Amino acid sequence: MLDAFEIITTSGVVLWSRTFTPLHANLINNFISDVFIEEKGANAATRDDQLSSTNPPYKSDQHTLKYTFVKELGVIFVAVYRSLLHLSWIDKLVDNIKTLFVDLYGDQLKKPNTTIIECHGFDEYFDQQVRELEGSASKGAAAVPEGALPQEEPTLSGNLGDEPPLPPGLRYKGRALNGANSGEEPSAESTPNLSPTTSRPSTPSAAAAHLVVGKPGPGGKLSRRARKMQNAGASHGAVSSGDEAAARRTKPVKTAKKGRKWTDDGLADEQDDVQLDYSIPSQTGIAADASTAARSSAVEHVDSSTWGSTTTKGQFILKDLDDEVHDILASAKSKADANNNKSTSASGLLGSGLNTISGLFRNVVGGKTLTKEDLDKAMKGMEEHLLKKNVALEAAVRLCEGVEKELIGVKTGSFESISSRIQSAMEASLTKMLTPTNSLDLLREIDAITRPGPASLRTPRPYVVSIVGVNGVGKSTNLSKMCFFLLQNKYRVLIAAGDTFRSGAVEQLAVHVRNLKELTIREGGHVDLYQKGYGKDAAQVARDAVAHATAEGYDVVLIDTAGRRHNDQRLMSSLEKFADFAKPDKILMVGEALVGTDSVAQARNFNAAFGATRSLDGFIISKCDTVGNMVGTLVSLVHATGVPVLFVGVGQHYSDLRNFSVKWAVEKLLSSS
Amino acid sequence: MAFTDFAEYLLTPTPAVIFGGIFIVLLVPVLLHFLLTANVSSLTNLPTILLVGPSGAGKTALATRMERGPDAQPTETHTTTNNHSIEIETPVPSSSSESPSSSGPSAGEHVKFLLTDTPGHGKLRARVFNRLDAMGENDKGRVRAVVFLCDAAALSDPDSLRHAAAYLHDLLLVLQRRASARIRAGAPLAKCGNPVLVAANKLDLFTALPGTAVKSNLEAEVTRIRASRSKRLLDSGVGADEVGSEAQDDWLGEYASQKFTFEQMGEFGIDIDVIGGNVTGEGPGIEKWWQWMAYRL
Repeated sequence: MLDAFEIITTSGVVLWSRTFTPLHANLINNFISDVFIEEKGANAATRDDQLSSTNPPYKSDQHTLKYTFVKELGVIFVAVYRSLLHLSWIDKLVDNIKTLFVDLYGDQLKKPNTTIIECHGFDEYFDQQVRELEGSASKGAAAVPEGALPQEEPTLSGNLGDEPPLPPGLRYKGRALNGANSGEEPSAESTPNLSPTTSRPSTPSAAAAHLVVGKPGPGGKLSRRARKMQNAGASHGAVSSGDEAAARRTKPVKTAKKGRKWTDDGLADEQDDVQLDYSIPSQTGIAADASTAARSSAVEHVDSSTWGSTTTKGQFILKDLDDEVHDILASAKSKADANNNKSTSASGLLGSGLNTISGLFRNVVGGKTLTKEDLDKAMKGMEEHLLKKNVALEAAVRLCEGVEKELIGVKTGSFESISSRIQSAMEASLTKMLTPTNSLDLLREIDAITRPGPASLRTPRPYVVSIVGVNGVGKSTNLSKMCFFLLQNKYRVLIAAGDTFRSGAVEQLAVHVRNLKELTIREGGHVDLYQKGYGKDAAQVARDAVAHATAEGYDVVLIDTAGRRHNDQRLMSSLEKFADFAKPDKILMVGEALVGTDSVAQARNFNAAFGATRSLDGFIISKCDTVGNMVGTLVSLVHATGVPVLFVGVGQHYSDLRNFSVKWAVEKLLSSS
Repeated sequence: MAFTDFAEYLLTPTPAVIFGGIFIVLLVPVLLHFLLTANVSSLTNLPTILLVGPSGAGKTALATRMERGPDAQPTETHTTTNNHSIEIETPVPSSSSESPSSSGPSAGEHVKFLLTDTPGHGKLRARVFNRLDAMGENDKGRVRAVVFLCDAAALSDPDSLRHAAAYLHDLLLVLQRRASARIRAGAPLAKCGNPVLVAANKLDLFTALPGTAVKSNLEAEVTRIRASRSKRLLDSGVGADEVGSEAQDDWLGEYASQKFTFEQMGEFGIDIDVIGGNVTGEGPGIEKWWQWMAYRL
C-alpha cells in the first residue's frame, strides 16, 4: 500500500500531501537533494517533463519513491511506498495525479511571488484515483481465473431477476452502490458494450462491484500478475472511455477526444478515429434500444441518471468527480497526441513563412521560446567544444542533455542569442556540478580533530590522509606538496611509506622528507618518515604508522600507497582492507589532467574499491600546467563519482599546489581558445 | 479619391509631414524600449529581502509563515532547490521615514516587499552570491537587507556550527567586497552595505542557544575560519604577479584584528543584529524579525 503522496514545489513548499504511514522526516529531503541537486548516478538528467515510469525509482533503505517533475511550474510529485511491495499501478497514479493537479491548479501555480495554492478539494480527486487504480488492478487479478465470457451472464441475470419488482428502491440502491464503488464504475459500465442484451448500466456496476469486493487480490497475486493486470487495465480504459463518449454524445468535441484512446499507439489516422467514434455510439445506441424494448419503465430512470449528471449534481457528486477526472485525463492525453501530430505534420505555407520571419526576428531581439530544433545544432557545437576540452564523451553528453532539457520551453531574454543563452546555462550547470556540497577547509578540519574543543568530548588524535591513484600520476609528489603546505602551517607531520612494492619508492619518500626538513626547519616544521621496508602488507604498515603517530603526538599522518591499475581486481581489492585498517579521515585520489576518457573508469573503480561504506573524499588533479585550457578531465572525474576536486597541481615545485577554484575551471572550460 | 489625396499629401515634403516623420522615427524606439522592459520592471521594483542560511534552518518555513500569517496552519516544507520570491506586506507600520522607497504604496501603513527564499544546499549557494552580485552596482539596493537564518538548536554541535559559520563568512565576505567597492567609488557609508539580521531560529526547542550565545559562537567560529582561510593554499588561476594584492580583499572585518566581531562590519556600513525567535511552537515567535525587516524597508 502507498505510504505517502506529496506534491512539492521547487521552492520547498508542500502544496498537498497525504500520509498513510508516518515517514522519517528526512526521507523526502534526501530524495530531493540526491536527485534534483546532486544528480547522483542513475538519477541524473531527470529534470524534465517525462512520465514517472521513465524516471528511475529512488530507493532508500526501506522505501521506494516514484516521482515526476513539471518543469515549467516547478512542481514535483512523489509517491512513497515500501520497497517490499510491488505496486504496478504506481506509475499511472503519479502521472494521473500530475495531469489532474496541473489541470486544476495550473493557473494558481503560474502566479508569481506567492506560495499559496488553494487545493483543499484535491483530496477527493486523489481518493478517486487511488480507488480506481487499485480497483482496476485487483479486478484484473480476480477476473483472469474465471475466464472472460461466462463470467458475466450469471451475475447479470441474477441481478436482473432481483430488480424488476421494486424500481424506485432499486434505483436508489443502485445509486448507493454507485456512490460506494464509484472507483470501479467505469469498468462496470463497460459490460453493456460487450453484451448488448443487458439493460442497465447501474446493474452490472453492482455486479462488478460484487466481483471486486469478493476477490480483492492480495499483494502476492498482484505482483505475480503484473503484466496481465496492466493489459486488463489498458483494455479497460479504452472501453470505458468509449462508453463515456456514448453517454455524452451531445458534445462532439469530447467524443473526438475520447476517440484518441483507441489510437493509443499514436500512428492511426484521423479517419480511423472518426470511424471508431461513430461506431461506439451506434453500438451503445443498439444497447439502449434493446433495453428500452425490454423494460421501458426502468430504463427511463437509469437514463436520467446517466444523462442528467449535470442536473442532479448534488446527489451524484462522486460520479461527477469520476467523469471530471476522466475528462481531464482524456483531454490531456488528446492534447499530447495533438501536439505530437502537429510536430510531425508541417503547418501551412503562410504560417510557416510567418513563423520563420518572426523566428529570425526573435533570434536577434530575444524573447524567443526555445524548442528542441533550435537547440539541437547549438548543443552539438557545445558538445564538440567540451570534447575538445578533453571532457569524456559520457560526461559531455550528459551535461549537454541536462542543459538542453533545462532550456526547452525557456524564453530568451531581450537581445540574447541562443548560443549565449546556452553558454550561460552551461556555465551554471558546470558550476553546480563542480561546487562541492560542503566546502573543504583542510586546516580547519585538522584543527577540529587534533585539538578538539573541551565541549566536544573527543580525544585528540592525528588526522589521517591517504592518497591513492594509478601508477605514475604523481601520488608521492602531491603528497610531498601537501606536506609542505602543512609544514608551513606548523603541523607535525608523519609520512608513512605505504608503497612496499615498487623498488625505490621508500627511498624516494626519504629524499622528499629530507628536502622538506631542510626547507622548513627554520619555520618550525617537523616531518618524519615511517617506513618498514619492502614486502610488508601495506595496510599493516599504515595501521602501525597511525598508532605510532598517536603515541608520538603527530598532528597529521600522510599515507602513500602503491600505484595500481584500476581494472586489476587483485590489486584493487586490497584497498578495502587498507581503508579498514588505517581508517583515514580523507582518502584522496590523484588523477592526472592528461588522461582522457579512461578517467571515468578510473574514478568509478577507485570510488567503489573501499567497500560499501567508504568512498573517495576528493580528487587532486595533477599536471594541470601541461594541458593549458583542456582541463576537461576534472569534469569527467566529478561527473563519474560526484566527489569534489580539492586541489590542483600546477607545477614542479613544492609550492605548486593550489586550491581548486570552480570559477577558474569553468572559465577555462568555456573559453573558446 | 480620398486615399490618393492622402497618399499624395504624405509624399509631399511639407513641414508637417517631415516633422511628423521625424517624430515617429524618434519615438518608436523609445516606445519599443518601454514596451520590452515594462513587464520586467513592474516586478522588480519592489524592495527585496534575501533569506539565506544553511539547510534545515527553517527558511522556507519562515517565508510561508510570513506570507500566510500567524493563524494559518504551519505548512510542511522540504529541501528547496530554487530561489523563490514571495510578495509580502508588512503588518507593522514601517517606521523608517528616510527610505526613498521606490515601491508603490509607501505612504500607507503597509509596505510591500519581496522576500526571496533561497536554497541552503552547498551546491546551490553560488546562485545566492550571484544574485547578490547581480544586484550590485547600478541601482541603489534592490536587495535591501539580508536575513541569515540559522538553527540555534544545532549550533551547539561543532560540525553544524562550522557549516553555518562558513556560510556566514562567505556571505559577509561578498557583502564586504561589494561595500568596499562602493566606498572606493565614493558613496556615503550609510548606503554602501546591506544590513544583515542573524536570526537564531528554533528557540522553542530545549537545546537551543539564546541569541547572545549564538552571536559569540558564530563570532568565534568565523574568527577561526578567517584564520585558516588566510593560511590556506592559493586558489588555482591566481597568477604569481597577483599574489599579495588581494590579501585585504579576502580578510573579513578589520584587517589583522585578533578576533572577529560583528561590530567590525560597521566599517563597511554593514550592520549586523542577532535576534532570536522561532517559526513554530511556543516562544518569542517572529515578531521581532518582522519589526527588524519593517524598519529596514
